[in-house]
Amino acid sequence: MLDIKDLTYRYKTQNQENIYNFSLNAKKGEIVGIVGASGNGKSTLLDLISGFLEPIEGDIVCDGTSLIGLSPQKRPMTILFQNYNLFEHLSVEKNIRLGIQGKIEQKKIYEILQLVGLDGYENKTAKTLSGGQQQRVALARSLLRDKPILLLDEPFTGLDFDTRMLMLKLVKDITKTKNLYTMMVTHELSDCDKIADKVYEVKNGKLTLL
Amino acid sequence: MFKKYGRFKSSLIPGLLISFFLLTLAVFLFFTLYENSNTNESLFAVLSPRILKLLKFTVFQATLSTIFSILIGIVLAWSLSHQQKFPNRALLVALFSSSLVLPTIIVVLGLITILGRNGWLNHISLNLFNHSFEGFLYGLSGILIAHVYLNGSYAARSLLHSFESIPKEKYKLAKSLGFSTCKRFYYIEWPAIKTTVFSVSSIVFLLCFTSFAIVLILGGNPSYNTLEVAIYEAVKLDFDISFALELAFLQLSISVVLVFFTSSLKTDISNIKTGSEMIPWSEPFGAKIVQKFTIFIFGLFFLLPLLAIVVDGVGADYMKILSSSIFIKSFDTSIVIATLSSLITIFFTLLLSGAKRNFALKSRLADSKLASIFEILISFSGTLYLAIPSLVLGLGFFLLSQKFLAPQAFWATFALLSANVLMSLPFSLSIIYPAMLKTATRYDKLCFSLGIGGIKRFIYCEWPFLKESIGYVIALSFCLSLGDLGIISLFGSQDFSTLPWYLYGLMGSYKNSDASGVALILLSLVLGVFILLPKVFSRSRVA
Repeated sequence: MLDIKDLTYRYKTQNQENIYNFSLNAKKGEIVGIVGASGNGKSTLLDLISGFLEPIEGDIVCDGTSLIGLSPQKRPMTILFQNYNLFEHLSVEKNIRLGIQGKIEQKKIYEILQLVGLDGYENKTAKTLSGGQQQRVALARSLLRDKPILLLDEPFTGLDFDTRMLMLKLVKDITKTKNLYTMMVTHELSDCDKIADKVYEVKNGKLTLL
Repeated sequence: MFKKYGRFKSSLIPGLLISFFLLTLAVFLFFTLYENSNTNESLFAVLSPRILKLLKFTVFQATLSTIFSILIGIVLAWSLSHQQKFPNRALLVALFSSSLVLPTIIVVLGLITILGRNGWLNHISLNLFNHSFEGFLYGLSGILIAHVYLNGSYAARSLLHSFESIPKEKYKLAKSLGFSTCKRFYYIEWPAIKTTVFSVSSIVFLLCFTSFAIVLILGGNPSYNTLEVAIYEAVKLDFDISFALELAFLQLSISVVLVFFTSSLKTDISNIKTGSEMIPWSEPFGAKIVQKFTIFIFGLFFLLPLLAIVVDGVGADYMKILSSSIFIKSFDTSIVIATLSSLITIFFTLLLSGAKRNFALKSRLADSKLASIFEILISFSGTLYLAIPSLVLGLGFFLLSQKFLAPQAFWATFALLSANVLMSLPFSLSIIYPAMLKTATRYDKLCFSLGIGGIKRFIYCEWPFLKESIGYVIALSFCLSLGDLGIISLFGSQDFSTLPWYLYGLMGSYKNSDASGVALILLSLVLGVFILLPKVFSRSRVA
């Protein structure tokens, strides 16, 4: 069980103070969609879960273990960002290997690239790939990292319809077969309709189950 | 709070240690000066009429130099930005960039060859109009011309980047609204360049305020002395250390205040290539004439002294120069010190930038209470050279060398290395820091989430984006060190000499042919390293 309890964050700007307070839970193999307008705190929620921001109160408990206080790299999660998921000057294979601690067999890289439909791309430089292909490489790396939580921060924005559908299907299949906790932040409610088991809306710094 | 700091300790601790080391060095030198000054008088009490006169002239020439340099810089950058097809524009821009590293003694020698009593201009004037300009190059006019030569081109290069960063849509808007050239400048261009104008002005003022070699050679007589030159004369000619200390304190106090208020200003002297997309319509006829004339005149003003060095240098007796033991010694010393200085500079720059960016990024420590204090501290330690001018720094080391006996070469090397590194740091930080901030903004989340840190992060995430700038900084620092004539003027001797000091000696003893040859060697070395070294770095690859 992934349990986010009263996760509170305060953010001051010159004119006002914003207070965010988030609570939600997810079961293994479940996809949680998070939607909302820009500036309402969707990305803040993901930054808090992934450890880029420290909450002032609350807890994140994954399978009985609190994640509060752990640095991003020590948290049992892998993240797909909207941009800059890859080092564009490096090859596909190097990008995948860089994200994995310890050694990994060549065969596994071929297999994972095949799974995301990019077999034979291992020696290509990341910058030569299209946006959709780059996101698939990042997804392939996420799978090899073998972490129980998969966070998606609007990763399919800007992709064409067909690639978007392919990516959504991949995420759904992977979540189910690997029994992951998947949280997908998006501003497209239709994406959530396609794959999410439950959908929360972020409004004024709070989550509401739709 | 400290737990959050702990997450970034690997980049914080080395940078903060370097920052504290630099600040400690400055404080140590300050107390060495204070201890030796043996005076309890306040700053205002030491302002004797003689010192007041020196101060007035120092501020006056720095103010005039800044105004002229900035005005010329603005007009030249504006002209270059609108005349993309001017013949050899790229070469001119590259040469303007190199003005920052040209040894001042070379510039002075080139200007003397063109504008001096026996210069080309005077010969032409005498032959055509039977009129001699005599000694107009010596005194305030000469100081201003040399300062404008060096700083006007530096300002133009910095401002050109600002002009070319203006989105072309704004020009289209101005065109569609029927703006005149003046109105376009007022509403579109000035708002885009004014921040750079103020920051470049502050840098130029500080450089002119602490200018040494130009005033020493072109000042002519004591009424045109600045504080720096007066310190040099008090130490080397009058042996009046107590007067030198009074001047040093005054210089230090003013510079510290100026630097403290300007250290947060941003400068742009990056090696980013210019050459923006062209505006698809022609400039009005009048503006076009003004722009082309400006580029031609200032191009000539910039090129002629360099050409004079080449023309005069070609005829020198190189067999004689190269077989001179003092030349060989000076050459070796210059190369060794410049190489060490450039390596230490880039090492310090990377560590200081790495620490400083922690306090600029929200995903790191920007929200912490001490962020702004640490940021100012690191910025200040990186701009110390502007606060502690080289002659004051040199005087501190000179006094230390009297107190702690060691071979003169030891103190001279230590003093030169310190001064060269401190001199290069403000420029290298303004190049490397924005690039490092950009890579962090782009890749921080990815690196943190994947656990990529330390050397691995530097190799795969920083180096590919920094290598060109690192090459540029090493070249810049090497050339700045190679051409400096500040501290060596206090430590230079027959036994310990650098190329600029050797050249100064040749000029002083009227060995003009040898001086021209050495000047050409120095110029070739500086331009060669400055142009070629960044190319070597930009070609290196990461697997």
